[in-house]
Amino acid sequence: MSSQTWPDGAAIEPFGAHAGAPRSDALDGKVLVRVEHVVKHFPIRGGLLGVTLIGAVRAVDDVSFEVRRGETLGLVGESGCGKTTLGKVILRLIPATSGQVYVDDRPLFDLDATQLKEARRDLQVVFQDPYASLNPRMTVGEIVGEGPLVHGLTDKAKREELVRELLAKVGLNQSHIHRYPHEFSGGQRQRIGIARALALNPEFIVCDEPVSALDVSIQSQVLNLLDDLQQELGLTYLFIAHNLAVVEHISDRVGVMYLGKLVELADVDPLYADPKHPYTVALLSAVPEPDPRRRKKRLVLKGDVPSPAAPPPGCRFHTRCWLREQLGDPERCETEEPAFRDVGAGHLVACHFSEEVTPQAIASAAERQLPVLGA
Amino acid sequence: MENTQLGQIPTTAAGRGQAAIDEVDLTPVRTYWQLARQRFMQHRLAVVGLVIMATLVTAAIVIPVLTGNLFGKTSLSLANHPPSLLNPFAPLGYDSIGINIFLRLAKALQTSLFVGFSAVSIIVVVGITVGALAGYFGGAIDNLLMRFVDLVLSLPSFFIIVMMVALFGTGNAIVVIVAIGVVGWTTAARLVRGEFLSLREADFVQAARALGAGDGRIVVRHMLPAALAPVIVAATLGIADSVVVEATLSFLGFGIQPPEASLGNMLTNAQEFFYRNPMLIMYPGITLVLVVLAASFLGDGLRDALDPRQRVKG
Amino acid sequence: MSVDRSDQPLLQIKDLRTYFYTQDGTVKAVDGVSYQIGDGRTVGVVGESGCGKSITALSVMRLIEQPGRIVEGSILLRGRDLLKVDDAEMRDIRGNQISMIFQEPMTSLNPVYTCGDQISEAVSLHEAVGRRDAWQRAVDMLRLVGIPDPGRRAKQYPHELSGGMRQRVMIAMALSTNPELLIADEPTTALDVTIQAQILELMKSLRERNRMAIMLITHDLGVIAEMADDVVVMYAGQVVEQSDADTVFEKPHHPYTTGLLASIPRLGEKRQRLEVIQGVVPNPLNLPKGCLFKRRCPYAMPVCDTPPPLQEIARGHVSRCWLTPAGEPPAVGPEATGELAEAAAASLQVMA
Repeated sequence: MSSQTWPDGAAIEPFGAHAGAPRSDALDGKVLVRVEHVVKHFPIRGGLLGVTLIGAVRAVDDVSFEVRRGETLGLVGESGCGKTTLGKVILRLIPATSGQVYVDDRPLFDLDATQLKEARRDLQVVFQDPYASLNPRMTVGEIVGEGPLVHGLTDKAKREELVRELLAKVGLNQSHIHRYPHEFSGGQRQRIGIARALALNPEFIVCDEPVSALDVSIQSQVLNLLDDLQQELGLTYLFIAHNLAVVEHISDRVGVMYLGKLVELADVDPLYADPKHPYTVALLSAVPEPDPRRRKKRLVLKGDVPSPAAPPPGCRFHTRCWLREQLGDPERCETEEPAFRDVGAGHLVACHFSEEVTPQAIASAAERQLPVLGA
Repeated sequence: MENTQLGQIPTTAAGRGQAAIDEVDLTPVRTYWQLARQRFMQHRLAVVGLVIMATLVTAAIVIPVLTGNLFGKTSLSLANHPPSLLNPFAPLGYDSIGINIFLRLAKALQTSLFVGFSAVSIIVVVGITVGALAGYFGGAIDNLLMRFVDLVLSLPSFFIIVMMVALFGTGNAIVVIVAIGVVGWTTAARLVRGEFLSLREADFVQAARALGAGDGRIVVRHMLPAALAPVIVAATLGIADSVVVEATLSFLGFGIQPPEASLGNMLTNAQEFFYRNPMLIMYPGITLVLVVLAASFLGDGLRDALDPRQRVKG
Repeated sequence: MSVDRSDQPLLQIKDLRTYFYTQDGTVKAVDGVSYQIGDGRTVGVVGESGCGKSITALSVMRLIEQPGRIVEGSILLRGRDLLKVDDAEMRDIRGNQISMIFQEPMTSLNPVYTCGDQISEAVSLHEAVGRRDAWQRAVDMLRLVGIPDPGRRAKQYPHELSGGMRQRVMIAMALSTNPELLIADEPTTALDVTIQAQILELMKSLRERNRMAIMLITHDLGVIAEMADDVVVMYAGQVVEQSDADTVFEKPHHPYTTGLLASIPRLGEKRQRLEVIQGVVPNPLNLPKGCLFKRRCPYAMPVCDTPPPLQEIARGHVSRCWLTPAGEPPAVGPEATGELAEAAAASLQVMA
């Protein structure tokens, strides 16, 4: 790519400027994004004119973590846990209720409009729904080229050159540039979305369920693509998903969320092999394995996820916690919110009785489960 | 012939830089508008409506231009003269004071359509602005604007129009246009607001914001085109509405007065002659009906054509 | 042929063809599908979008609407051809002997009737019971599927319940008439994984209790492995492989099945790169001639331009592919095309 500059004079870095940034094992460990005590409540209004505040959906309730340069941080959890909201808040696509996000030590929520626009070059997003994430009335070229256009690359020819390069990078035929999204399959549309995210040469990409809406045989294509791009361009990912196997495959570290809180955060291998929070244990146990020989005795959680508008007091998980049941319903779980603490080697857990989460405890809980059918 | 390859299951997948692994439909590139046009053409009634409307509009423009002031020329010697083959320029005959009905009808149609289209323009502009502002910003602004909409809606629209016309000058077409516009923008506003509210959360809008696009660009480039469809439909149906309102006003004597021609005041004049020359009512009446029907069919067809149907997943 | 232990299987689908006549062309959603479900067996039908697995189920229930039509084939329910019975009889069978549950319980349940009402309706449509008895049965069913406080829940509307509960209500409704066959179309796809676990455990217990056969349609291989006795793999409207679950997972033959199994990430197995199936599912309006998978198949050969036969790989294991059971290019010769290949295919054929 020829040397071009953004309007503020900063050089448009050619692709691969961050290349060679090593992956997990040889990370330089520098923090790229730091999330501090982020809270996001959605107000529930009622009353006569619909203005009185009668409650709040506590979608994200005091979450803090770091994302290191070059790594992939996976974020898992079920519906209502707040992971998607958190992703949007981190990108400042929706305003946070409180807290701060530092990108390269700059407080993102304090930036003014101009600074924010500049900062957005480094923070991009890939969405879940390949059918809703592309404007159906714009051509592929316009969609992928919008970022550079907005940031000052007004020369049509140069923009087209950039778009062609991006399309090639994500494995699409360059002739697609004049076509419309509806002419493509889900996997191809997702690639277009990825090309769009790459157009500004970002450092950090939030991937919000990028493969969940795709056919199984296409998922691996896109996952491999994301992997390749990370290695080639030195990207950092926040990978939000609910499929635990996918997250395990792509992440270096993984965080587990439940009802707006982070309940566990650790390197991927220790977390999957030796989880320390009862919810993580149940999550892992619930995943059906594609191997009929390994039909295991599952740990099935009872009941439904409580509403984020009315989370249980104390530890939010206590209403469904198998460990609590096994320990004889200790009161502490109901009255005191557990602190997010380090239980060894950087493995963070929010549970009062995390030490009791042992393979034996898990096995005995699975055995002692009540029959599924009522009456 | 498609290329086949011999070999093992590939152990690596190249995500980048390959020639088309994916196949492209060889169907020609069709934009959203082209697809919409195709859908529209399949709607027979809509095409009929379009043809009728086009004919009426053409007649309304061309005939008065060609004949100038002839529509007002009275000629008592020709009073109530029925149409005859000897006089091709008066295919509808003459009325009680010798005015060429056909010419007057054309002029009346012109006036009515002019008022209708102009009023709708005001409706569309005001409606889109209010709706877009309310839908995009939400919160207090949305609340304020919507309560204002409720206020306007709660007033009896026709009487407001009559009042405005009476206050600011009967017989003045501009006043009529403004009055109709000022009272009728609420539906369009609500439609646009609804679309904007839902589009605000759409992924592609969020993506544009993540790219750094400003509010202006997002509204104009991303949201308005998507919100246009219901507005176009509402506008088309609004034409029918506005034309009827104008006709009513003129019929009651508040709108366009003679010697200016309007479908409404042609009906007023024709009232007296109901028994002697009932066709005097039929001509403007049928024309009015044609305008309304044509606009309605057109509106229905547009609604179906512009409805963004989801592509059926493979 | 699934491993079938009763002499007349509960359900036999023979050479079913369901086509959709759309403006853009004819979509052969189901093109010559045959399989059977034995008493009490769970058959997992797995495939991706466009493979025809859901359309097959809807065809069995005779719920295909314009522009779709069941063009050919027979669906034998204990020997009775469902495609030949009249509407009244079919209504009698539907919801009674064969019940169906769907993916999105919110749109499958009527939002303006209470859950109890909907279940009672299902009961009273098929059995001559009074209103009070039907309601009691509804409450009993809700209790059976593990909904706490069923008496109160029966009076609630679908939107007042969570996704998992709604799915339970659907299951209760489907099971209220004690069907012999339950068709479950992606029953847990829209649910969280912990709720999915609950529902799968529930289904397992219920099928044991009722000795019920299940046609489980899903794209999730994990769910299939959990639940299915036999597996049918579908691709682009055809059955490409079929056997019992152990065989399909351990000794798959068809390259699509192999590719699928190799490409999904699995818990506990961290790999550097995932295997990939190149390309995309073919456009149903523009299907390749010959093997429908050939454009994506790493083994594709010239003979693949001729439609491959449904070969018997082993007892009870079939695969629609030219490769021999050992995985070698076919005996008829990989370069053979056209008539030669078709003739050879005819001699190898096991099922149409």
